[in-house]
Amino acid sequence: MQPDSSSAFDSPAAPTGSGLRAFREAALLLILALAALLVLDGLVFRIGPYKKLLEPDSTAGQFELVLRREQEAQREYGDNLVATFGDSRMSYYPREAAKVEPQTGYYLRQAGLAGTNARVWYYMLRDLDPTASRYRAIVLAVNDFDDEDQAYQDADDLRVVHYAAAHLRLSDIPELVLSFPSWTSRWEALRSALLKGYAYQADIQEFLDNPPKRRAYVQLANGGYPHWTWDFVDSTKTLEGLAIDWSTFKVTFPPNATPDQIDTITNFLARRPAPQTGTMAAFRRHWMGKIIDRYRNSRTKVIFIRLPRGAVVRPDNLVKKQSATIRDFARLPNVLLANEHAFEELEHPELFKDGLHMNDKGNTRFSVLLSQEVARLLGPPAPNWQALPDHPRDK
Amino acid sequence: MLFNTVQFFLFIAAVLVLFYASPRGFRKYILLVASYVFYGTWNWHFIPLLLTLTVVDYTAGRLIEKSDPRRRKLFLILSLGVNLGFLGFFKYYNFLASNVSLLAGKPSTWLALNVILPLGISFHTFQSMSYIVDVYRGEQEAILDPVDYALFICFFPQLVAGPIVRAREFFKDLLHWQPPTADDISRGIFQMTIGLAKKMAFADQFAKIANLYFGNVAAHPGGAAAWSGVFSFGMQIYFDFAGYTDMAIGMAKLLGFHFPENFRRPYLACSITDFWHRWHMSLSRWLRDYLYIPLGGNRHGRVSTYRNLMLTMLLGGLWHGASWNFVIWGGYHGALLAIERLIGRFRRQPVRWTVASWLFTFALALVGWVFFRAEDLHQSRQVLGQMFGNWHGHTLLTRWHTGLALLALAVAAIEEKFDWFEHLMTWPLAVRAVTLALIFFVIEVFGVTDVAIPFVYFQF
Repeated sequence: MQPDSSSAFDSPAAPTGSGLRAFREAALLLILALAALLVLDGLVFRIGPYKKLLEPDSTAGQFELVLRREQEAQREYGDNLVATFGDSRMSYYPREAAKVEPQTGYYLRQAGLAGTNARVWYYMLRDLDPTASRYRAIVLAVNDFDDEDQAYQDADDLRVVHYAAAHLRLSDIPELVLSFPSWTSRWEALRSALLKGYAYQADIQEFLDNPPKRRAYVQLANGGYPHWTWDFVDSTKTLEGLAIDWSTFKVTFPPNATPDQIDTITNFLARRPAPQTGTMAAFRRHWMGKIIDRYRNSRTKVIFIRLPRGAVVRPDNLVKKQSATIRDFARLPNVLLANEHAFEELEHPELFKDGLHMNDKGNTRFSVLLSQEVARLLGPPAPNWQALPDHPRDK
Repeated sequence: MLFNTVQFFLFIAAVLVLFYASPRGFRKYILLVASYVFYGTWNWHFIPLLLTLTVVDYTAGRLIEKSDPRRRKLFLILSLGVNLGFLGFFKYYNFLASNVSLLAGKPSTWLALNVILPLGISFHTFQSMSYIVDVYRGEQEAILDPVDYALFICFFPQLVAGPIVRAREFFKDLLHWQPPTADDISRGIFQMTIGLAKKMAFADQFAKIANLYFGNVAAHPGGAAAWSGVFSFGMQIYFDFAGYTDMAIGMAKLLGFHFPENFRRPYLACSITDFWHRWHMSLSRWLRDYLYIPLGGNRHGRVSTYRNLMLTMLLGGLWHGASWNFVIWGGYHGALLAIERLIGRFRRQPVRWTVASWLFTFALALVGWVFFRAEDLHQSRQVLGQMFGNWHGHTLLTRWHTGLALLALAVAAIEEKFDWFEHLMTWPLAVRAVTLALIFFVIEVFGVTDVAIPFVYFQF
């Protein structure tokens, strides 16, 4: 055969009727397959049993445990409950806070989780308090009432799709996805919110490695989690000896500092200022704004507290902060700002175990101060309030 | 642009839309531009090299066809010289230089140059050379339209890692192009999805273990760790390469091209000869037609046959990479093929498939992978020492990795016995859609997305 100087591409178009049918069938195949995938994913991960098998120590597992524990607490504690939210620095002891309850009349409950931010708290609150009426107050713990952008941005933190994986609805997807600033994160968020198997991948693989072991641990955690968290005692390590020269960011570490202490001091406490882009302000306006909106016509107050800033306090003049979203929120009727200086007495190296977190002594003192500050802001408890002196958690 | 990335799927979607929305006359230009764009996303600096080889071989093809026998041979030699010259320089210069340096008692880097290996050079030079040889032999007419020839060399689905397509197969599709049928499209979608699952859910999962093991052999002492590390690499390389090939074949089908099969469940082989009939079939075919048979094949007696087998496999090994490890890997397989041939002379019947023959062949293949994957000869010796000299230690495979391997084995065995894929293609649309959804689900749950693991054969 002598090849033509032109290929078949150059010849007149063949009838396309069958071609179009082929493409229509292919499109239908793909659409049906994607629909079947969504159904399968939904059956296994949305309404199926997998939620109850999540690794209790994973982000999604912790979210479930806290949610369940606090839902039960609502039934047990009556009318004057206060739910607190924050990241790992919001590490007060509820048992210590409860000791103040006879004087204040308020029970503080810890609904925060390590590594979370307002986006996760919103999804937690939505399921924890669906009618926006179960708490006297919601306490949101932040590191600053002013907005400071840091190198690591909350807005780009994808952990939300893992924490809240089981509770994200299809209708949440557009807002959640668009709340991430980068396209890479948006894609990740879209994929994990749409198909929960992506968010649970590591969990599933670990489960498949030893299903009986997982089931046993889940059972154990479900039974013991409220007591473990109630009885939790933090480290007694301190940062005594820590000093930071803020003009050079030179750190004098405590003698015998552990690698973890050095790491957290270097990366979080003695961090250099990042460019101020307004990302944090936008993030707070959006997600804290949504929480406030949920309680707009409710009896529940939204309280912001500023956490103890660290073992050594960063000078204010390191960064010129351009906005103060939380101070702006304070103008709204149901929003209260705690005394900014309420916890300053805790900002000492002997009360911190690392560059971020307080130690046992710090947490104990923080628990009492927090209860007192919340009570001061809320005023006397509801008239029908009655103390629950024999509550099992108080023992 | 890896095949298993969002960027690539956006790229292929754009190409398909542009391709089918354009008048027929534009379509091959769209494929050509898309192929250069695809190649350029890796390293556009090598596009001139690709163009040079295209121009040289296109011109050589035309000249060979038009010339008298003496000049034909000259043009053939010139063309092969240019192809092998480029391949030799980019792929083997540093290997040769380091060996010459060591022989001269100098450091191995004495004559070294900072040479970057152009992506897919081993594949497209082999494809070019097969075309030139076919034209020289009179088995293929020279292509008249340079755009057609350029597309043959750089067609993006198989540009970087094959399958190595023969000119007559490619031009049959190109010159007599027909829109894909519904069956082609359905197969194309399935093959792309199955390929993606092989890569992301199987190859990359096992790659994590293989990389862990070969990244620090000393940290994982004992035979159990060694066998599990090598087994993981065996799984990785098969699923990785077969996954890539499935995607390439599937993509080509969506564009109306038909590539040859490249893998046929090689780990179910019952002998090494059988293995090479199932593994990287387009390379095996190339080596047979352009090396083994020209060397004399089995036409000149037993000794010459064994020599030709050995030479073919040694060069096949070296084709994979410029290191003694690949030469040994090729030699190892050459020796096994020769031994099987020798044993076969005393057998009345061919080797029958039994569990024992299958397991033995699989184990032999795994031993060969040690040379393929190890950093150098020292590490190969270290791993083999652990595999055969130390029965202690712990396996690196978790239970679910074992489950994944067993799942793959079951799917392969069912396919081998019942040809389920062919049956599936005849089933109603809804059943195919559910099957496709199940494959998507496997990717969703097991697909590695936290790290980008490049295709193994991209380095060749």
